[in-house]
Amino acid sequence: MIYHALLFVLAVLTAAWAVMARSLLTSAIMLALVSVFASLLLFNFNAPWAAVFELSVCAGLITVLFIGGVSLIRASLEAAGENRLFLRLLPLALAIFAIAAWFYLPPFFTEMTGWRYIAEDTGPIGTVLWQLRRPDLLGQIAMLAAGVFVIKSVFPKRRAAK
Amino acid sequence: MDKGLLAYLLIPLFTAVLIPFAARRRPKLADILANVTLLAGLVNLCWLVLRPSVIAGAFVSVPGDGFSIFLVGLIYLVALCVSFFSTEFLPEDMPNRRAYYSLILISVAAMCGIVTTSDFFTLYVFVEVLAVTSFALITTDESKAGVEGALKYFLLTFPASALIMIGISILLLTLGSLSFEGLRAVMASGIPPGPVLFAAALIILGFLIKSGVVPFHAWTPDAYQGAYAPVAAYLGGIVTKISGVYAVVRIATLLNFFDGAAAGLSGGIMFLGMLSIAVGALAALKQKDFKRMLAFSSISQVGYIILAAGLGTPLAFIGAIFHLFNHATFKTVLFLNSASLEKAAGTTDMEELGGMEHSMPWTSWTSVIALLSTAGVPPLSGFWSKLLIILALWESGFKTYAVLALLFSIVTLGYFLLMQKNIFFGKKTPVSERSREVSAVLLTPVLVMSAVIVAAGLLFPYFYSYVWMVAERIFL
Repeated sequence: MIYHALLFVLAVLTAAWAVMARSLLTSAIMLALVSVFASLLLFNFNAPWAAVFELSVCAGLITVLFIGGVSLIRASLEAAGENRLFLRLLPLALAIFAIAAWFYLPPFFTEMTGWRYIAEDTGPIGTVLWQLRRPDLLGQIAMLAAGVFVIKSVFPKRRAAK
Repeated sequence: MDKGLLAYLLIPLFTAVLIPFAARRRPKLADILANVTLLAGLVNLCWLVLRPSVIAGAFVSVPGDGFSIFLVGLIYLVALCVSFFSTEFLPEDMPNRRAYYSLILISVAAMCGIVTTSDFFTLYVFVEVLAVTSFALITTDESKAGVEGALKYFLLTFPASALIMIGISILLLTLGSLSFEGLRAVMASGIPPGPVLFAAALIILGFLIKSGVVPFHAWTPDAYQGAYAPVAAYLGGIVTKISGVYAVVRIATLLNFFDGAAAGLSGGIMFLGMLSIAVGALAALKQKDFKRMLAFSSISQVGYIILAAGLGTPLAFIGAIFHLFNHATFKTVLFLNSASLEKAAGTTDMEELGGMEHSMPWTSWTSVIALLSTAGVPPLSGFWSKLLIILALWESGFKTYAVLALLFSIVTLGYFLLMQKNIFFGKKTPVSERSREVSAVLLTPVLVMSAVIVAAGLLFPYFYSYVWMVAERIFL
């Protein structure tokens, strides 16, 4: 229960950070962390396939795409200003959400914990990642390498242009 | 995943990561590492498949279904030609030269992942890796056209990924498995195919968009025209074939096991294939730019593969595989020749060019070989694949499609002869006066590919026995 709540809080905090961050790169990384916490929650609710796909698609692929996109348009982003006034209301909204969650989420999690036994037990996270979905991990490594080289491919040109 | 072929995925991936460190002080080392990796892989594959003892044994000892290893070989061949060509074509002071080679190698690894996996989700992961590397390779040329092409590629192919993802989710919900074999078992088991067919349709639609088939072809001409010419050769020659067409061929072949229940879906695929052949060929007739014309020609030729894949009979499957191979070879030659023209004459606008044969005879005659093969003129390789596809259509009762496929083959010959006349033949123009034949480094990959086109045509019986072995293993 405490573990679920901790993961949930961490997911919410990183999501808020993703919205409030000044740098789009930080936002992309925070969004990846949201996916990591969400997939840990899914693992804990005995939904390893959903967890692995969440980890692969959202924390892996989407993050690389975001970072690649950000690296392409960074020069124009730096030039453009941003009105951040509305973001100051976000902590207030989060506080209201946290109080509501304090009352409503524990019973929700209790109910969810009951459901976990319906799913078939496929073993710990390591088994699913390293044995059932091993080729996907290879794809993830390739994706991370591709992400790095997308950035390495775009940034030198920007520096050369400057 | 075929573990016997894992090395062909891992080694380029390792070299891609190694290049930025090893070539930090000497950028030329990036060229050498990339080319040596690809050449070593290709030599190894040739030893596995083309040893006299293997050929004498009718390729029985080839591992797996034979389709994966065949495509891995094709991937390495095209990537090697493009990589070797790039060593001379790319500017010496290009700031992201090392990253360029790393991206080529990662895309090779991703394509090997795609063709060796037997799981839909792993296929999706590697297709996305390929999409990211392709996007980055298109933007290597940071001109307005390059960025426009990359953005169109991004905007059209990523919604396609969403469709594939939804299809995969439905498959997982209905089958509880994502393996190709699982899908095949369900098709044979007599379970109501509705949801599975719907999932397969979504996945196929996603891959058709990625293939650049009409009406989802908007990104193709801009991406090919905007990218550096070797990148266009790489995209047109192999990347779009593996990221889209390969998956369509695989899944459409599986639809055959539905025993008639998927006839509507197969018919739809065939219709889109025929539409691509027609629209691509007619649009190619009107183009003034060589690279853009090749892009539309590519759309048209992909249509033949999709048409055969939709038909799904063993003969059509053989035709589709053979045409996929042929398309990779002749389109690589033509795109690399467009790059040579760009380098020598400074333009690919067909109205400015003319009489280039006098100054660039090797480029001109390799273009003739490639264009005749594309149009299906005997005894070149393209003739055999088109013949097989048209025969398969005729045999299955799709006589209108067979006649139309034949007619548009003549249109293909027409627009390519126009191209050859406008660019290479005729009197010398001011542009051809000041142009010179490109260096041996730029000519070598084109000559090798042209030799492959001629050899595949002349040695067709051997090729046929290999592809027949693949069809037997997949269909039985």
